Amino acid sequence: MSKRLGLVVDQERCIGCQACTVACRIENGFEQGAIRVETRGSDHSDAPVGRFPDLTMDFLPRLCNHCEQPPCVEACPLEALVRREDGLVVLDPGKCDGCQGCLAACPFEALRFSPRHNRVEKCNLCSHRIDQGLEPFCVICCEGQALHFGDLQEPDSRVAKIVSSGEVFRLHPEWETGASIYYCPPKTKRGLD
Amino acid sequence: MPMTNKVESKIIRTVCPAHCGIDACGILAHVRGNRVVKVEPADFPDPRYRRICLRGLSSLEITYHPDRLQHPLKRVGARGEGKFERISWDEALDTIAERFREIGERYGWPAIGWVLGGPGAGTTKFGAYLRLASLTRSTRVSAWGYGDAGLPCGSKVLFGAQFPYALLFGSLFSGQTTPELLVVWGANPGESQPLNLMRPIMDAKGRGARLVVIDPRFTVTASKADAYLGLRPGTDTALALALMQVIFEKGLENRDFLRKCTVGPYLVRDDNGALLRGADMGLEGSRDYVVWDQDAQAPRESRAKGGEAALTGSFTVNGLSCRPSFELLRELAAAYPPARAAEITGLPAGDIVKLAERIGSAGSVTFVTHMGFTRTYHGDISLRALGTLAAVTGNVQATFRGGHLPAVLNWDPFLQPDTPKPAYSRLGILPLYEAVISGKPYPVKALWFSFINFVNQCAHSGKIIRDLLPRLDFIVDTELFMTPTARYADIVLPVCTYLEFSDLIPFPYPYVQLQQKVIDPLYESRSDVDIAAGLARRLGFSEYFAPGEEGFIDLILNSGHISLQGITREKLREGPQALVNIPDTGQEMDIPFSTRSKKIEIYSEALRAYGQALPVYLEPLETPLGPAETRYPLAFIQGHSRFRTHSMFANVPSLLDLNPEPLVEINPQDAGERRISDGDLVTVFNDRGRVTLRARVTGAIGPRVVQITQGWWIDQFREGSVNHLTHDTVNPVQAVVYEPNMHMNDVAVEVERVREELP
Repeated sequence: MSKRLGLVVDQERCIGCQACTVACRIENGFEQGAIRVETRGSDHSDAPVGRFPDLTMDFLPRLCNHCEQPPCVEACPLEALVRREDGLVVLDPGKCDGCQGCLAACPFEALRFSPRHNRVEKCNLCSHRIDQGLEPFCVICCEGQALHFGDLQEPDSRVAKIVSSGEVFRLHPEWETGASIYYCPPKTKRGLD
Repeated sequence: MPMTNKVESKIIRTVCPAHCGIDACGILAHVRGNRVVKVEPADFPDPRYRRICLRGLSSLEITYHPDRLQHPLKRVGARGEGKFERISWDEALDTIAERFREIGERYGWPAIGWVLGGPGAGTTKFGAYLRLASLTRSTRVSAWGYGDAGLPCGSKVLFGAQFPYALLFGSLFSGQTTPELLVVWGANPGESQPLNLMRPIMDAKGRGARLVVIDPRFTVTASKADAYLGLRPGTDTALALALMQVIFEKGLENRDFLRKCTVGPYLVRDDNGALLRGADMGLEGSRDYVVWDQDAQAPRESRAKGGEAALTGSFTVNGLSCRPSFELLRELAAAYPPARAAEITGLPAGDIVKLAERIGSAGSVTFVTHMGFTRTYHGDISLRALGTLAAVTGNVQATFRGGHLPAVLNWDPFLQPDTPKPAYSRLGILPLYEAVISGKPYPVKALWFSFINFVNQCAHSGKIIRDLLPRLDFIVDTELFMTPTARYADIVLPVCTYLEFSDLIPFPYPYVQLQQKVIDPLYESRSDVDIAAGLARRLGFSEYFAPGEEGFIDLILNSGHISLQGITREKLREGPQALVNIPDTGQEMDIPFSTRSKKIEIYSEALRAYGQALPVYLEPLETPLGPAETRYPLAFIQGHSRFRTHSMFANVPSLLDLNPEPLVEINPQDAGERRISDGDLVTVFNDRGRVTLRARVTGAIGPRVVQITQGWWIDQFREGSVNHLTHDTVNPVQAVVYEPNMHMNDVAVEVERVREELP
């Protein structure tokens, strides 16, 4: 069976620090980090939702979903975007002319156009590191230890085990793109009772 | 671009000391030529220690920052104006030596003060200046008082230890036991100190611990909590007493622990509050404490054999009426039933009762705290109240069962190079204000600043600028950048970043690491050890600096410290070395308390003269408690941001992209009353000063409290800065116990909207 590399993002462990964003930008030389941390339901990062003191603040790191049926790949006229055998959807920056057709095609808004570099920038899940047997840079720099990388098709992998536990979700499964990024939701608050 | 480039690069293991002391991360620096192109987290024998943060990741932006100071400078304009001229190192050091000699001869050498702030985790770079301070018999200005003295003040009184960390949450590091309940109180480890504790906290929560966070701000840490208690700043002691009131009423205290490890059973004389001694009951010369033997219904010395000691009740011994100190604590707590504490703290009484029941009935509770509430005027007492709550429920780790014990390296080789004891004078940082301004207890006329952005970070910036700096004859600052402080210096010396020199780093526990020099110093920058050596040579102390950077590291490694035996610089080059001769994780041992009684002093005989023998609740100095109309009805507090370590990293582009400007957090209710909308420009002010910045209207902060994270540079505000609002009031009890603290979280302000002119 072919590989399907992906991530499990544990929202319970994510402390919203954005080390992943900084790590991504540095590792890939991007204008902005291709993994971005959203504070759910809030207009601002790091701002909770609700009325003091009844508040919640949940972080959602968002990145390319490395879809099994990636709309961005279909939209790219230059074949700069490809889905690899191992499931990674990668952009070859040398082939991108900055037409931005992929931006419109991706419902997750996971790709960004860099005016400075005049091309699209997206998360390749650090395919250059994976090809050397290393984990994505955001994973090893995650302060909360909230990012887990592995082969979702390998039953013994940590990510496959978490996914098979059933307590996971994917963003917009109704779009049926076959996302390879899974999320564990934050644990229910037990209060003092 | 991904690093597919084939140019030869090498990888050197070093240490990023981007914390403010007490911890550090191992990193791998990728070097091409003399340029570091990337840093990444390095492996440890225990993989839990492989880590880096967003500051460490972006630290190259400091090393290669376009604004970095490149050569020594001398001031040519007015102080603060920022006009400087390039000079040579020889001219800079000759000038400093000459001015120091003049001032030393005229006023005495203690008139020269070394203001050494947070050294990161470095040892030799800090030690080099201390060594020079000791040799020249000048003044070491202790930096504890700039926020970090309140916690040691409280901890010393209660536990006899400078830090209560191992006693309260040491077991979190070992991960061998999981507490039933974790109470994080006045700390935000998700973003700040105690650093790197968030991983073990979340590990424990994952294994079933219930997490409670008590904080005036709804922080990142609070967002992970099962329950969040948003109390009013400065009221922590009232909460702790109310929790104890419920615990005592329900009989949930741990009496065995109280008898074994605290002064709880010791009798206190009703007439003068002193602890009863053997001599008071007629045993001539006995200084032993006295307990009431319940079986014999008679007093006995605490160390004498006998029946169980009473913890409550009132007794008469040799005509003296007295009560066990625990009884006095119980009576104090009885005055704070949850309903009263609810009024003071703003918390629901029901939550106080439920939390007390949880603390009292849990098999084990781990309390995590740091400097938050200890930066209020009576924060030292609040620390004692928290520690007392832990003690009465038996949740102080008086028995070591593996995990974290503090490792202190031997600084003696630095502190006493030519004398048996350090020969410098010592001043706290708040007493320094007085010494400079009024000449008491002695005049200070020259200051040397290293690792500190004094004007930016110390209380009452307006007073520093207006009254303190002009009275100084001479100011030196060693810096990476032209900070708000450097602008006031007469000589500014450019220093190296951590990649450009070697140092010994005793973190993360239980490891020692070598911060290896990765590249040659950039521009004309020099390491602090080099700078101290250059000045020492001009002052006639060359021989004490002959060892150099690496020799100083050996000086510490060879100091005879039992935990460093066999650890050499060569071994450290290969990777982190675990400390040796520390207790096995399987071993049990009693942890000695260094108080006078050798017990946890829930009652402090020494502080009875100040009315603080017990952890009494005293109202904050400025924080307005009631909603009554006052000129400054809002409490102002300063959080700590993960985007900076104090004022370090405030100018790093990657971090400014994510967190571009200072904001004052204000509750929607207070904002509404002042017609302030999110994003409006506002001025926060009091009689001392003003700061103008944009508002963030958010429920993250409670009513009548406003918050700005500390560390932004004065230049980054439209006007003023956070410390233009703070005060330099000295708490005299702290001055006696340890050192007076700055009370950055005990400040009253008002906020008003600024009419913005259209562009």
